[in-house]
Amino acid sequence: MTRQPLIASLLHEEHVQTISALQRLEEFLMGQGGKRPPELKRPENREVVGGITAGIAAEVQRHFGFEETYLFPLLAEQGQMGMVGMLAGEHQVILPLASGLARRAEAAINAGAFTETDWAAFHGDGLDLCEREIFHIQKEEMGLLGAIAAFVDNESDERLSALYSQMVAATAE
Amino acid sequence: MDITRDARDRLLPASIPYRFFGLAVICHVGAWGLLACYGDGLPGFIGGPGPILAALHMITLGVGASTACGAAIQLLPVASRVSLRGVGATVGIFLLLVPGLLILFHGMGAAQDLAMEIGAALVIAALGLFAWKIMDLMYRVKDMPVPPDYVWISSFALIGLLSLAGLLVADGKFGFLPRRQDIAAAHGLLAVYGFMGMLAMGFSGILLPMFTLGHPPNAVWNRRAAGLALAGLLLSVAGLLADQRTVFLIGWVLGMVAVMVHLALMRQMMKTAMRKRLGPSFLLVRLSWVMLPLSLALGLAAATGFALDRSAPLFGFILVFGWMLSFLLGVLQRILPFLASMHSGLSGGRPLMPSAFTHEKAAMTHARCHFTALFLVSCGFFFEQGGLVRLGALAGLLGALALLWFALHVWWQSHKALRAAKLVNIS
Ligand SMILES: [Fe+2]
Ligand SMILES: [Fe+2]
Repeated sequence: MTRQPLIASLLHEEHVQTISALQRLEEFLMGQGGKRPPELKRPENREVVGGITAGIAAEVQRHFGFEETYLFPLLAEQGQMGMVGMLAGEHQVILPLASGLARRAEAAINAGAFTETDWAAFHGDGLDLCEREIFHIQKEEMGLLGAIAAFVDNESDERLSALYSQMVAATAE
Repeated sequence: MDITRDARDRLLPASIPYRFFGLAVICHVGAWGLLACYGDGLPGFIGGPGPILAALHMITLGVGASTACGAAIQLLPVASRVSLRGVGATVGIFLLLVPGLLILFHGMGAAQDLAMEIGAALVIAALGLFAWKIMDLMYRVKDMPVPPDYVWISSFALIGLLSLAGLLVADGKFGFLPRRQDIAAAHGLLAVYGFMGMLAMGFSGILLPMFTLGHPPNAVWNRRAAGLALAGLLLSVAGLLADQRTVFLIGWVLGMVAVMVHLALMRQMMKTAMRKRLGPSFLLVRLSWVMLPLSLALGLAAATGFALDRSAPLFGFILVFGWMLSFLLGVLQRILPFLASMHSGLSGGRPLMPSAFTHEKAAMTHARCHFTALFLVSCGFFFEQGGLVRLGALAGLLGALALLWFALHVWWQSHKALRAAKLVNIS
């Protein structure tokens, strides 16, 4: 608990960003309710419905990809199969949920409005995504970051941090 | 390779922690129910057998120790990444605890010595076994997200308080103790500030940052708080046992400083909390943070003999019902749905989220009733009105029933989820 590896801080920072986006989405969905579709002509609504969901989907895809490709195998080798299995299983539920939402938001924005049934489904899945991803991050903040500190040595930390920065830079281009 | 083996090792079968939590929720109803019937005797209560003593122990042992058992055996292995050895022993703890508590409550309530002795012996055996299991686990822990000191101090306080409990019960029969009051007070301090307090402070550093997504407490200061609390506890207990007023007072000051450091750490965590929607459970946790220093202030008044008739019983009430109970129930309202969600994922398929297990209305009703009960009962003490105490206890009883409803909802939803998962697996 003395040394905080760089890769743990990098992942933590991204968790913080994702959570603030999720909370904005959650506030909006709760304020709007599931019955009345939002007015998509208003730019601030388009920003939350389209911009935020697209942002979350992209962030989640990259972040999960990094964890699954580089970090989880390393921790599994150290005997942390249980935690890794649980977190990867949650990724499998969250990722399609996030990308599905982004796709449906884009379609609705292109069409100019949500139909009432589409909005009800979008609203329910949106809140579900918020809770699932926040709960997932809570578990990672509690278990995963501690496991990194315990099982990732300095050398691997440097390698992982470099890989992570490359991935972030590649998606930013 | 079985990738779920490891998770199963750490996540005990749901029935193990839940049976302790169920016991806690039921004892909670019992305690407020007893006070609603016999609360007239609460103003001016200074100890001795009767329904008040039984109600007090329904909270400290029935709610407090049971919740501590359920939470510690499930959460310590998760937090420390060390498995609990001999899970069967936890069944033994429960099987000793339930009859022990029933007999003890009956013995205390009806002032029957034999029942009190048998009940106490069973409860001491149960909690002694619990202390041993926890110490065995802590001995193997290499690193933890919070200082392990809290758990160690708590375990030693538990052994100390059980020894004094044995002494007090034996004294009831043979009458050999000089200054029985002071020994009873030391027993109470070790129980609530020591055993439960240290565990609560330790778990606060793990659970609350997780629920709020705030910064966990600074490790160095958290350790200092643990050290100060240990010194405070040792000196105040030694001061009581040896009848040394100055030693007790130094202990009190150290304890107060420890509490202040702890509260500052908690304030820092809440400031950095990313999660703003925290629900009724955090109303209770915040209430407990106000009650903790208040209990110390009242304890000082009682110890120095200031307005003793009022300060002594009010101290006990604010410490046990105000601080400990509020904290435990606030945390319990989060842990029950949290664990249910973890378990719903184990049987395969999409795990249900904690909100699916949370009955918001029941949680809110419980919180409202809890606040009302504390306020009315405290007023009852202050104005020495037994009727007001009973009215407050009635509000407490209503809240306890709401919490029971909340817990039944968690159980029923888990049951439904498990059945659905089984159907999916078969088809
Ligand atoms: Fe993840
Ligand atoms: Fe992550």
